Amino acid sequence: MGTAGLGPLPCVPPPDQTARVPRAEILKCQNLRKTFGDLVAVDDVSFTIEAGETYGLLGPNGAGKTTTISMIAGILERDGGQVLISGRPHGTTSRWGKKQIGYVPQDLALYPDLSARENLRFFARLHGLGRAEARARIDEVLRMIGLTERAKDPVKEYSGGMKRRLNIGVGLLHRPPLLILDEPTAGVDPQSRNAILESVAALAGEGVAVLYTTHYMEEAERLCDRIGIIDLGRIRAEGTRRELVGLVGELDRISLTTGGAQAVPKELETLPEVRKAGSHEGRLEVMVEDARKSLPRVLAAATDAGVVVRAVEVHEPNLESVFLHLTGKALRD
Amino acid sequence: MIAIAWVNLVRLFRDRTNIFFVLIFPIVLIMVFGLSFGSGFAPRLGVTGGTTPLAAELVAALETSGRMQVVRVGDAEEARDGVERGRLAAALIIPENYDRALSRYTPVTLSFISRQEPDALQLGAAIRAVTDQVTMPARAAAYVRDGSFDELVRRAGQVSVPGITVRFSATGTAAIPRSITSFDIAATSQLLLFTFLTSLTGAATLIETRRLGLSRRMYAAPVSSRTILLGEAAGRVCVALTQALIIMVGSGLLFGVRWGDPLGAGALVLAFSLVGGGAAMLVGAALRTEQQAVGVGLLLGLGLAAIGGTMAPIDFFSETMRRVAHLTPHAWALDGFAELLRRNGTIADILPQLGVLAAFAAALFGLGAWRLRAALTR
Repeated sequence: MGTAGLGPLPCVPPPDQTARVPRAEILKCQNLRKTFGDLVAVDDVSFTIEAGETYGLLGPNGAGKTTTISMIAGILERDGGQVLISGRPHGTTSRWGKKQIGYVPQDLALYPDLSARENLRFFARLHGLGRAEARARIDEVLRMIGLTERAKDPVKEYSGGMKRRLNIGVGLLHRPPLLILDEPTAGVDPQSRNAILESVAALAGEGVAVLYTTHYMEEAERLCDRIGIIDLGRIRAEGTRRELVGLVGELDRISLTTGGAQAVPKELETLPEVRKAGSHEGRLEVMVEDARKSLPRVLAAATDAGVVVRAVEVHEPNLESVFLHLTGKALRD
Repeated sequence: MIAIAWVNLVRLFRDRTNIFFVLIFPIVLIMVFGLSFGSGFAPRLGVTGGTTPLAAELVAALETSGRMQVVRVGDAEEARDGVERGRLAAALIIPENYDRALSRYTPVTLSFISRQEPDALQLGAAIRAVTDQVTMPARAAAYVRDGSFDELVRRAGQVSVPGITVRFSATGTAAIPRSITSFDIAATSQLLLFTFLTSLTGAATLIETRRLGLSRRMYAAPVSSRTILLGEAAGRVCVALTQALIIMVGSGLLFGVRWGDPLGAGALVLAFSLVGGGAAMLVGAALRTEQQAVGVGLLLGLGLAAIGGTMAPIDFFSETMRRVAHLTPHAWALDGFAELLRRNGTIADILPQLGVLAAFAAALFGLGAWRLRAALTR
C-alpha cells in the first residue's frame, strides 16, 4: 500500500460517477448485536466494505456508530453476530485481525506530554514495528500529516487540527488495509477538516478500505462510496447516495435563471430525462433524475430554444431528507 | 509491555513539578531531618572559665562524659543569652577562683543556668555526677589537710578504697545502635513515605490514559488485554522503584546513608515498590478523575505513612497503635529495614516482612487488574 499526501488534492470524484468494479472484500459484518443491560445499542447490523471503498456510517449521536466500530476494531465484545476481516473471523483476542485495522477513535487518544514522534514511536512498538522500520514509517507519517516541523513538540502545544491529524497518523502507522475513522473531524476548523477529508479520499484511492462514521451529512455525501444510515442501533438503509435518495423518490432540480418571464420551451420539456418542467419568477425549473448527467443536455436544449440563461443552480435531494424520511426525525436530533 | 511501562516512566519526568517532588524534595527532607537530629541528641552546654588546671580538668571530664557537647563561651552574660535564645541547652559558669578556692579548702560554687525543661534537669544531674567524680580527690585532701594540697590530691587520686561497685553488663543490642545515624533513620522513613506517595499520586496518569481513550486504543493494537495490564502494572512499579532508588542512591551519596545487607535492602525496596504499584493500579482503575486520584493519593500516602510509623518512630507507639500500624505495609517495611540496619540482618531474617509485603502487593494488583480490565473491555 502506498502513502497519501495531505497537500491539495483534486476534488473527490462524485461516487456515483465512478464505475464500481468488484474488489477484495476487506470487512464483512454480519448481524452484529450489542446490549448494555436493557439497552440494545446495536441490533442486527450487517454490511461489507471492499478494498478502496469508503463506507460511511451516518447517524445522529447515540445511534450506535461508535459501539459498532468498537466491536469491529476488537475493543468491545459483541453479544451476537460476527466480524470477518479479509474472510477471517475477528474479535477482541484476534491479534492478526487487529494488525489489519487502523483504528482512529473519536477521542484524541494521544499522550499530551509526549511529542508527536514519541506518540508515534509508542504505537509503532505496540504494532510490532521493528526499530528501523518504525523510524522510517514515523518520518513518512509525519510528512503525510504535515507535522514534520513540529514532531518534537509536546502534543499539548498543538492546535486542535494538528492533534486530529496526529490522531489519524497513529492509525496509519502500520499500513492497515482497513481504516476505521470515528468522527475524525469533530471539533476541527474548516481548513483542517478539508485536509482530513482529502487525505481520507486519497487513502481510499490507494486501496485502503475506509469505515467512516459521522453525523455530518455533507462529509458522508462528499466522501463515501456507500452509506449506511444508522439509527437506534439498526441500519435503516444502505447504498450509494443516489440509491438512498432514490428510496425517497425525490428528483434533482435544475434551476435556470432567465432574467424575465419565460415559458417552458418544447425542446426542453420533451427531453427524455426531464420528468417535469415549469417556470417561476424568472426561472425555469427542470426536474430530472440525475442533474449531473442531464445538465449539459438541458442547457443545450434551452439555448437551442433561444433562452438566455444567466445562472444555473442544481439542487439535489440530500441525505438529510432521506434520514428524515426513514426515521421521522432530523439528522442532528 | 515494556513500551507501556517505559512511557509511564517517561511521563513521570515530563511533568516538571515531579522533578522537584520526586528528585529534590525527598532528599531535602532527609537532609533537614538528618541535620536536625544529627548531633546524636547531645545537648549543648556552654562553659565559661575553666582556664586554670583544675577547672580545665573538670571541663575535660565533662567533654569526655559523652552526655553533652561542651561549647566554650566568653562570659556569663553570653552564656545566659545563649540559653535564653535556645542556642545552648544549659550553661556552666566556672569562677576564676576555682583552683584557688579548692587548694585553700574553701567552698566554691559553680553556676548552672538552664531553661525550665526536663532535658536541662537531666543535664544538671549529669554535670553533678561528673563534678563529684572529678573533685573527689580535692574533697579527700580537704578531709586530710596534712601536707600540701597538690600532693594530697595526687595521693587521693591514686587511692583505691573498698566500697560499693556497680558492675554494668549489657545484653542484646541497642534499639537504635550508636552506629545508626539520624540520616539513616530519616532516609528509611522518607523512602517509604515518598515511594508510596509518588506511586499513588502517579495513579492520575493511569486515569488520564483511560480518560483520553489511550487504553482502548492500545487494546485496538495487536496486544492482549493481559499485556496492557502487565504493562500498566510494570509502569506503576517502575515509578515506585525509581522514586525509591533516587532516595537510596541520593541519600547514600550525599549523606552516607547505609541500607544494610544489599540483597535484603533490594528485596525490601522491590517488595514495597510492588505494594505501591499495586495500590496505584487500584486507585488508577477505580477512580474516575485525576483530581480524585491526587486527593486520595495524598490522603492515603500521608495517612498510611503516619499510621505506619514513618513520621514518628514506631518504638514510641503504644501496643495498640503498633498493632494498628502493622495493618499498613509501611510498618512491615520499617520492621524489615530495622532488622537489616540495627541487627545486621540478611534477606533470610526479613522473609516474614517480605512475605507480608508480597501478600499486600498481590491483593492490590489483583483488585487493580480486575478493575482495569473491566474498564478496558466495557
